[in-house]
Amino acid sequence: MPIFHGTNTKKHQYKSTDAPPSEFLASHKDDRINESIEDTIAFIMKLIGSNTDLTTRRFRVFGEYEAVLFYYTNLVNHTNINVDILKALMYKPDHLSKKTIEKHQLKDILLNDTLYQSETKLESNAALLVDGIMRGGTVVAVEGIDEAFVIGTRTIESRSIDQPATEQVIRGPREGFVELLGTNISLIRYRLPSADLRIDAMEIGQRTKSKVAICYMDGITNPALVKDVNSRLSKIHIDGILDSGYLEQFIEDNHFSPFPQVQYTERPDKIVANLLEGRVAILVDGSPLALVVPTVFNQFYQTVEDYTERYLLMSAIRLARLVALMFSLIFPSLYVAIISFNPELIPTEFAVAVAGGRAGVPYPAIIEVLIIETSMEVLREATIRLPQQVGGALSIVGVLVIGQAAVAAGFASPITVVTIALTTIGSFATPAYNAALALRLLRFPLIIMAGLFGLYGIMIGLILIANHLLSLRSFGVPYLSPLVPGNFEGMKDLIIRGPLPWLKKRPHFLQTTDRTRFDEQQPQPSPSGREPELLKPLKNDDNGE
Amino acid sequence: MDQSRQITAMQAGAIMGSTIIGVGVLPLPLFAVRAGGSAAPLVTLIGLLVGSIGLSIIIWLGIRFPRKSIIEYSEDLIGRWPSWIGSLLIIGFFAVLTSLAAREFGEVVVTSVLKSTPVEVTVIVMLLLAAIATRNAITTFAYMHYFYFPLLLVPGLLIVALSLKNAEAINLQPIWMQHSHGVIRGVLTIAALFQGNFIMTMVIPSMIAPRKSIKAGFWGMTIGGGLYVVIVAAAVAVFGAEEIKNLLWPTLELAKATSLPANVLERLDAAFLAVWVTAVFTTLLTSYYLTIYATRQIFRLADHKMLSFFMLPFVFAMAMMPQNIVQMYDIVEQVGQIGLCITIGYPALLIMISLMRKKRGKPVADQ
Amino acid sequence: MPTSSYLKIIYSVMMLLMASSLLTGCWDRVEIDERAVVLGVSIDKAAKDEEEHESEVTHVEGSLPAPVKDMVHVAVQIALPGRIPLGPGESGGASGNPGQTLWVVDVFGHSIDDAFMNLQQQISSKLFFGHLRVIVISEEVARRGLANINDFFRRNSEVRRMAWLMVSKGNALDLMKAAPKLERIPTLYLMSTLDEGIKMGKFPKDYIGIFWSNMSKKGQEGFLPYIELKKSDNVEIKGLAYFKGEKMVGATKPLEIAGYLGLRGINPAGYRAVITIDNPPGTVITNVAHRSSKIKVRINKGIPHFTIDVMLEVNVEEVIGGESLAIDNPNILTEIEKKQNEASVKFYEDIIKKTQRKKSDIFGFGEYVRAKEPGYWKRHIGTKEQWEKRYPDATFDVHVVTKIRRIGMKAK
Repeated sequence: MPIFHGTNTKKHQYKSTDAPPSEFLASHKDDRINESIEDTIAFIMKLIGSNTDLTTRRFRVFGEYEAVLFYYTNLVNHTNINVDILKALMYKPDHLSKKTIEKHQLKDILLNDTLYQSETKLESNAALLVDGIMRGGTVVAVEGIDEAFVIGTRTIESRSIDQPATEQVIRGPREGFVELLGTNISLIRYRLPSADLRIDAMEIGQRTKSKVAICYMDGITNPALVKDVNSRLSKIHIDGILDSGYLEQFIEDNHFSPFPQVQYTERPDKIVANLLEGRVAILVDGSPLALVVPTVFNQFYQTVEDYTERYLLMSAIRLARLVALMFSLIFPSLYVAIISFNPELIPTEFAVAVAGGRAGVPYPAIIEVLIIETSMEVLREATIRLPQQVGGALSIVGVLVIGQAAVAAGFASPITVVTIALTTIGSFATPAYNAALALRLLRFPLIIMAGLFGLYGIMIGLILIANHLLSLRSFGVPYLSPLVPGNFEGMKDLIIRGPLPWLKKRPHFLQTTDRTRFDEQQPQPSPSGREPELLKPLKNDDNGE
Repeated sequence: MDQSRQITAMQAGAIMGSTIIGVGVLPLPLFAVRAGGSAAPLVTLIGLLVGSIGLSIIIWLGIRFPRKSIIEYSEDLIGRWPSWIGSLLIIGFFAVLTSLAAREFGEVVVTSVLKSTPVEVTVIVMLLLAAIATRNAITTFAYMHYFYFPLLLVPGLLIVALSLKNAEAINLQPIWMQHSHGVIRGVLTIAALFQGNFIMTMVIPSMIAPRKSIKAGFWGMTIGGGLYVVIVAAAVAVFGAEEIKNLLWPTLELAKATSLPANVLERLDAAFLAVWVTAVFTTLLTSYYLTIYATRQIFRLADHKMLSFFMLPFVFAMAMMPQNIVQMYDIVEQVGQIGLCITIGYPALLIMISLMRKKRGKPVADQ
Repeated sequence: MPTSSYLKIIYSVMMLLMASSLLTGCWDRVEIDERAVVLGVSIDKAAKDEEEHESEVTHVEGSLPAPVKDMVHVAVQIALPGRIPLGPGESGGASGNPGQTLWVVDVFGHSIDDAFMNLQQQISSKLFFGHLRVIVISEEVARRGLANINDFFRRNSEVRRMAWLMVSKGNALDLMKAAPKLERIPTLYLMSTLDEGIKMGKFPKDYIGIFWSNMSKKGQEGFLPYIELKKSDNVEIKGLAYFKGEKMVGATKPLEIAGYLGLRGINPAGYRAVITIDNPPGTVITNVAHRSSKIKVRINKGIPHFTIDVMLEVNVEEVIGGESLAIDNPNILTEIEKKQNEASVKFYEDIIKKTQRKKSDIFGFGEYVRAKEPGYWKRHIGTKEQWEKRYPDATFDVHVVTKIRRIGMKAK
């Protein structure tokens, strides 16, 4: 009969140490456990015994060997422990029931004949054992064995796979990443069942020890790129990685640039598409957003849908998006420049009317635009943070205040409001939030430049921005590729989206090992060959009736 | 892949094209008409040919010494100290060219758009813009030109296309020059506008395939110079030769006389000038980069970043020297003509010595 | 890595400091509503007794030499911001009274700039000429010469080359004060009269820029629209005011504009002609739909001789002669064509003779000599003055071919 000890053994053997557990562990990182389970219990209790959620359970293996089992109560699956570990260890397996088990055989039998758990390993390093418990494993130490079993029993509650909230599409897959790394990898593997898909793992964060997965396609991705990613990641020194966004800020090339040099996405299909192009994806446990490197500017105005819908329509929509992008950047500054510096550019009738609309507004156009722009930003920020029910009410207030009342009060001219509205809409039309953010931010210096020097100032500002973009690199790839430094193959998928059969080559700037996406020789369904078959049968049917 | 050699032939062509198209385009029809009347396009074409001679000498030298810039191979050819004189002349000349281009554009802006802004401000803004950009490596320098080049052609060609409806072919006749006095001077003035091509001596050592610089030079000159000819022809066709003599910046006036269809913009001069900032920027970038890069090489410095701000006050001071706009254009013409000796004469001397002494640089395996 | 990022921070701080030094002034920012948007300018000669009204802004009487010229009376039309409603239809627009949308101010001065400075002294907002669309000068001023006016507007970078310069019969100031009903802004009505005239084939493109170009050309003289204010504040295009050098020397009749357009082959065509035929008797009005012309020059015994081939495509628009004339007969059409040919040749020759008498080559025949016969031009002419002398001696040969294409919806 097994003897039950109380599971609450908190008071037991606890000695407070001066050093926090992590430092104690660090100083004892090469310690090994011995054959005595009491020593093991003492060691573990000393380290983490003060936590109420640690469970220590003593029992007897096969009714004769003393053993103990540790786990964190809320990280594991209890049924699993009860049935597959405790029960299995307490009863001898049927085919061994007649035999007596020698002490030296015990380790081998337990591992190979008893434990039903596939994820089981033997470990003697005390620090690693503690680590195993931390990650939701169950550690079983048996008297007389100088190693302990670490059994993977982790079960974490997680939300179900959902529609990606920030990257919705009308046509295309509806799955988005969740927080768990394992689930996310499963989503990628399921779409890309290729032996070439490599997933390297790494732990980053001195305390969080977050699991980071680096995914790439062997034979496609440039090995130098993978090496570069690995070396940049391994240089990160931080206590905790709570989201992939932390990583992004460590591995980007230019920390002072407003432009994002790493793309993030929560769509597995987008990751797969990027892997196939030869990029590297970085996933972090606990973050539903995966990073893609290297990133070039054109990725920010392209969406998954560009490729799922027919090319002619999507090319037009992509153009519209580009227009929106430009709108969101320069429209208010252009307005300021024309109103304050060059009213001769607009038609006379309109100019006179604009002057009429502005008559009575006490501020110069630049101040007016800055005020309205700022209040627009405030409004937008307020709406994002609020729960949906309140947000609706707030936007009504915003519309009323900014749209109507400001004009009626002579605070702003109606054309200013139209301008700002167009700008705001324009910035919403950019699919990538972080790129839109950069342009939103850059709008303000441009407005100021326009207020100083008119059109000349805008141009100076735009040249500065363009020069910055031209000198920017993402993992060594020029940011404006393939426009600069010029690759015609790439231009087929730049401003327009060429028909898929045209896009035979992987992006040149990624310098992939395998440059072609698909082979032309492979038989493709040819419409001309199929046509007669399609047309044939109708007539016969008619006669038959 | 050779990391120091990344510039493609197309980028080299773009460097030349966008360097040529600059502030000089604004008064160009005036220079051409003064020299040749209705034969202004022809004068421009001859100027283009003279400029091409200079360019071909530079490219020839570049191909003979594909790993070195003119500062370096001139030392090999004529010895250290004589070459120092030549190199210092080059540096000085391009510093002056930078300052004059900045001043010229500053004057244009102040005369036509920002009337009460001090000219110092517009000049320093342009110079700063160029100085910040010169802090990059030569690959980025090439990217910049490559990126802006198509954008420069658009406003130029747009103005030409829109002005066609007011053009009269009779203004362009007779297409031959009717008198000879002033033609040489005009041709030289126009040829001087192509001096930015000297940048090829710095670009060739970074080109993937130096031999392709011939092709690059041809296209750069054809497109850039072609735009010159087209703009001169359009200005003469619209205004007539005599009217152009009354206009300080006929190209700008051309923009003023055209409006976009459906009155989207009623007049294009301010917009054109704004877009033209890009053209001036690329030209300034080239001449300033040349100054900085040559200084770096002559003093064998590792980095040119600090130099770009160090030289700025001198260039700015030089830009402020001309007292008024008339004097400035006199200086522009004189400096241009002296510059031809430096940018065509000096390389010609070097190539002759190189041919006589049968010296050439280590070749590069063309890809 | 850390040192370079520190350097970067230092640089960016330096850049910011330099940039902020630029922030010290917005030198040129003038809000659109702070500008006095000048839409139209009229220039008259000041009457003797009015000259005393001059305010001394650019010069003090006696201390600085005043230009020894007749004084001018300048009036401007300034748009009143706020009075012109934004958007279409709002509050019904201006109902004809220019006092509602515009402000007409007049001043005196020795020159144009002097007058404008006097004006600026009286107006708080900065005068802005970027939207100046119409400059009206009185015939009197035009006949005395436009040198000063041209110089001022050419030098001013705000003035557009697409503005209209026109000569008014009588007082120019009245045109500024007139209030036509069709447009909210009277000046725009004046402008659209001419702009629409171009589209209807009633007037050649003759913006101020084109006038300047023509005036500069050695073998051509400038011309301007000649207009007159009518009773109900509408404006009639009276003809072409043609110049010799900078002075106006005469004006044509309205139909003679058609002569100019025909000789130059300018499209679209818009004028009508009354043609009377004898057999069968009747009168029709034809509408010229398309013109083309070819001018050839050759030197005949030391005198330039021009051959002008004009081709007109016409439609019959109205039959005045009654039922007896049925024009569904090709012979009759040929007869009309023949008559119109004869009439046109005479008509064109008359116009040319008229300008020859005034030594004002508004057609630019001299340009043809310069372009096509450069040798002759270089030897015998060379300058504008020489061509003015030579122009009356030139001989002309006008051929007109008329083709009737359509006769309207009626069958005969």
